[in-house]
Amino acid sequence: MPPPVPRPPSPGGARLLLGSVLIVATCGLIYELLSATMASYLLGDSITQFSLVIGVYLSAMGLGSYLSKGVKRDLYDRFIAVQLVVAVVGGLSAIALFFGYAWLSSVRPLLFGILIVVGTMVGLEIPLLIRILKDSGELGDLVARVLAFDYLGALAASVLFPLALLPTLGLSRTGLLFGGLNALVATACAFAFRDQLRRPRALQSTSLAIAAALGLGLALGGRLERIAEEELFDAPLVRSEKSAYQRLSITREGDDVRLYIDGNLQFSSLDEHRYHEALVHPALSEAEAPARVLVLGGGDGLALREILKHPSVEAIDLVDLDPKMTGLFTDDPLLRELNEGSLADPRVTIHNADAMRWLEAHVRGGGAAYDAVLVDLPDPNNFSLGKLYSGPFYRLVGRALRPGGSGVIQATSPLLSPRAFWCVVTTLADAGLHPRPYHAHVPTFGDWGFVMIAHEDRPPPTTLAPVALRYLDEATLAALFVFPRDQRPAEVEPNRLSDQLLVHYYEEDLRSIEQGRRRAR
Amino acid sequence: MTIFDPLRRREFLGAAAAGLGLACGRPEVASDPPVIELVGPDPARGHRLRDRGFASGSIAATEDVGVVIVGAGAAGMAAAWRLARAGFDDFVVLELEDGIGGTARSGAFSRSAYPMGAHYLPAPHPECAALEALLEDLGILLGRDAAGRPDYLPSAQVSAPEERHFVDHRWFEGLYPGEGEGREEAEAWARWRDHLRALDRRGVDGRRLFRLPVARSSVELRDLDRVTMRGYLDGLGLTGWRLRWMIDYACRDDYGCTIDQTSAFAGLHYSLARGLDEHRPILTAPGGNGRLIDAIAGRVDLGARLRVGVAALEVDPDAGEVVTVRIADGERRRLRARSILWAAPRFILPRVLPPGRDPLPSGALRYTPWLVASVEVDRRPRGLGAPLSWDNVPIDGPSLGYVVATHGEDAAETRPGAVLTYYEPLTAADAEGLAAARRELLAADADALAARVRAGLEPMHPGIGPTIRRMAITRWGHAMIRPTPGLLFGEALALARAPIGVVRPCATDTAGLPLFEEAFYAGLGAAEAALAAVGRSEPSMIEDEVG
Repeated sequence: MPPPVPRPPSPGGARLLLGSVLIVATCGLIYELLSATMASYLLGDSITQFSLVIGVYLSAMGLGSYLSKGVKRDLYDRFIAVQLVVAVVGGLSAIALFFGYAWLSSVRPLLFGILIVVGTMVGLEIPLLIRILKDSGELGDLVARVLAFDYLGALAASVLFPLALLPTLGLSRTGLLFGGLNALVATACAFAFRDQLRRPRALQSTSLAIAAALGLGLALGGRLERIAEEELFDAPLVRSEKSAYQRLSITREGDDVRLYIDGNLQFSSLDEHRYHEALVHPALSEAEAPARVLVLGGGDGLALREILKHPSVEAIDLVDLDPKMTGLFTDDPLLRELNEGSLADPRVTIHNADAMRWLEAHVRGGGAAYDAVLVDLPDPNNFSLGKLYSGPFYRLVGRALRPGGSGVIQATSPLLSPRAFWCVVTTLADAGLHPRPYHAHVPTFGDWGFVMIAHEDRPPPTTLAPVALRYLDEATLAALFVFPRDQRPAEVEPNRLSDQLLVHYYEEDLRSIEQGRRRAR
Repeated sequence: MTIFDPLRRREFLGAAAAGLGLACGRPEVASDPPVIELVGPDPARGHRLRDRGFASGSIAATEDVGVVIVGAGAAGMAAAWRLARAGFDDFVVLELEDGIGGTARSGAFSRSAYPMGAHYLPAPHPECAALEALLEDLGILLGRDAAGRPDYLPSAQVSAPEERHFVDHRWFEGLYPGEGEGREEAEAWARWRDHLRALDRRGVDGRRLFRLPVARSSVELRDLDRVTMRGYLDGLGLTGWRLRWMIDYACRDDYGCTIDQTSAFAGLHYSLARGLDEHRPILTAPGGNGRLIDAIAGRVDLGARLRVGVAALEVDPDAGEVVTVRIADGERRRLRARSILWAAPRFILPRVLPPGRDPLPSGALRYTPWLVASVEVDRRPRGLGAPLSWDNVPIDGPSLGYVVATHGEDAAETRPGAVLTYYEPLTAADAEGLAAARRELLAADADALAARVRAGLEPMHPGIGPTIRRMAITRWGHAMIRPTPGLLFGEALALARAPIGVVRPCATDTAGLPLFEEAFYAGLGAAEAALAAVGRSEPSMIEDEVG
């Protein structure tokens, strides 16, 4: 097929092209805003992220404009192709960044890659359009009109994005919507200018397919969106680290500093003292002047801070899998302020190891038993964690706890996952550790459960060691061990290593709560 | 301390990403061809022994030693452990191969150790006190709780998810293929379980009907050893394929025999010998039972008393002499012993005894060949349905699937990928078939065997081939004694374990069931007899046991 003879567009065609300038400009700014928002959500420090994103994007546009001088033939084809690239890359940018955040060790190369591709393509568009339109009117008049539409589109985007799009559609679907618009412009042009195209069929079908795919994504995007955007936090991110094991995110809004592990809230500085006082002091007070303490988990150092209030404590072994976690809470000034530098206390020895293996080695190596053992591990939401709530693990804990000593296990929420909570209690009973369940109200978590353990059968504790406390007093302590009528023990089996029923209980409990919430909606 | 969202974001994203991967063709394909090696027993050594291919030579030295143990597999090492426990250290252990363990040997990739053969041991029934004593001595049994229940090292136990099976392109939890089961089949399965419960009792002589070692089972139902497991199930009217598959799988797994080949006594023994406690832990390690062997070697501290790469060439059962030859340099030694424990496979014994000295007719014992291969993959295999488990079993095909050597690894491990050990018994029906399968196995080259392993894995995991980094293939010509009808309580086995002069045959095969427990008790019993022979009076660990 001979190349089509280049012709200026008809008046109708020219109007279509000018209209597309408006849409193209809006889309271009939307992608920029999306990237900047994603970057500040995912990486924290929004001023830096916005500055970097704007700078990289604008310079990529400049690159695109410069490269446009090399485009001399097939202007319509190129214009449509550029639209399609922008539609796909820009339209999927938010989703790609969510996936990248979950799976890549660093999301920055992906972010800047997207910015450079979209910026370059958007930078190509306006010069291409001007060149297509240049024969349909006076050049000065044309440039004025094109730029006016361009800036008008930018205004539309900057108003729509924060006020309408982000609140209603969210990030992923905003991206898909504008990708779809880009694809529709490409489709309209592919049909309107079919006589000018070298490959009209191919461009028409590709444009239609991309528009349809993005439209479908938009329609189905709700669920993906909801799951993906759980990565986002209610408050500004101030620190984000990805270790070999997990993603640690710190947010801060005023006095409220929060830690999320893989998107799951670990504590809020507003009420973590309730959790950690309830975790530490009943057991440490009962252990009577404990000298040697073992902490399994608790890499944030907050339980340590409470333990160190007991003047009898001489040595603490803290076993946490993740060196990034203990490192972050040792070095970061904000976090060090929260745990009062507990991780750097000379009485503390940090062991970055699998708690099960460490405890096995300790027990087999004939290590001395501890006066108190605290187990503060993430909830049993998978089989690797479920092991650390199993009978065999608790028997090891029992071996590491001296007769007369006292221990405590964080045991999830007795309200949100009652079967999981009572399964922990049953497992401890089966392991011969005389469990005494109790619970405390921690506002950001709700009702939270713990279990005290000992080698002896003992009544609930009634006294607290004389240390400075914000939450607990002896009347409150007594109340912690009372479970009301609607929180009586559930009928459950112990958590064996071989079947790990606890993991199933935990998942089923949370699933039924989720279903209840959905029904309530 | 976590508020966890049940939607499992990461897993969802992972599944979505996997979906994308499928749609766009498989990403990240390993570029280098896998490293394939043949490991385990060297068939050439065994054949040289069989064919008397060691050139005659002069004896470099003669040593007097109390007890010679031939074979450093489970039985030989149990015997060594027993002697050491009695404070008796005047013994040597000879091992033909360069590594110890016999069929419980293990090897290692840099990623993880792996089993070459036997890979697990169910926690023993309480009446197996001697076996518990071994596990306690090795630090695997940590102690007992107030109720007297043993407390096993958590990392030595198989943790959930234990098992899954593959049927109709999907994985399901557990081993029983219950998906789509009709009412009749469900009832048949329940009837079978009831039947087993009824047999979980003591016999007329006060012994449990089925116990370990098998020789100590009650005499009451020993006639069941004369019929096949299939015949027995036919007699009970249990015919559904699910139940048959499940029992056939069990027989192939433990004995390398189908239900047509296994005796009903052996088939029932599989389910009942350890009691019907469903919560009995399974003890394993990345290297399988090789970990037990290595732990014994460490505990006994064999040192120079362990001689690997040394063949017992001639055994004089009356003079108590063993002529040994070191494979590497042909050096010969004569060991003069008061007792010789033959803990190597029984079929080798007539080749080293003076002609006509073995009372056991040749060919009386039959063995199943096995193909075992450990495969290091750079991605953990997934599949639709139940998650990757310790034991992963296809319903179809000749293989028993694969066990994940890296299943119980340290949570601190961050390397991706896994090591899978593939098991395939060559369950031919008769001696000719077994010999043909054995010849074929030993004649095939490494690439052909690797292709066979890949073909066994591929139906479960399409596209697994390019993810394979390394493969260590073990060919077992004689992996398992076959408990076919008539073996367990018949004359052949009695002859197989009868002492010949000062030689006591005590390898696993002389017990009739290819189980670690049998090897352990055979070795233990032989060691106690040897202690008596050398004049050490020692209370028996075996006689202590109840029943």
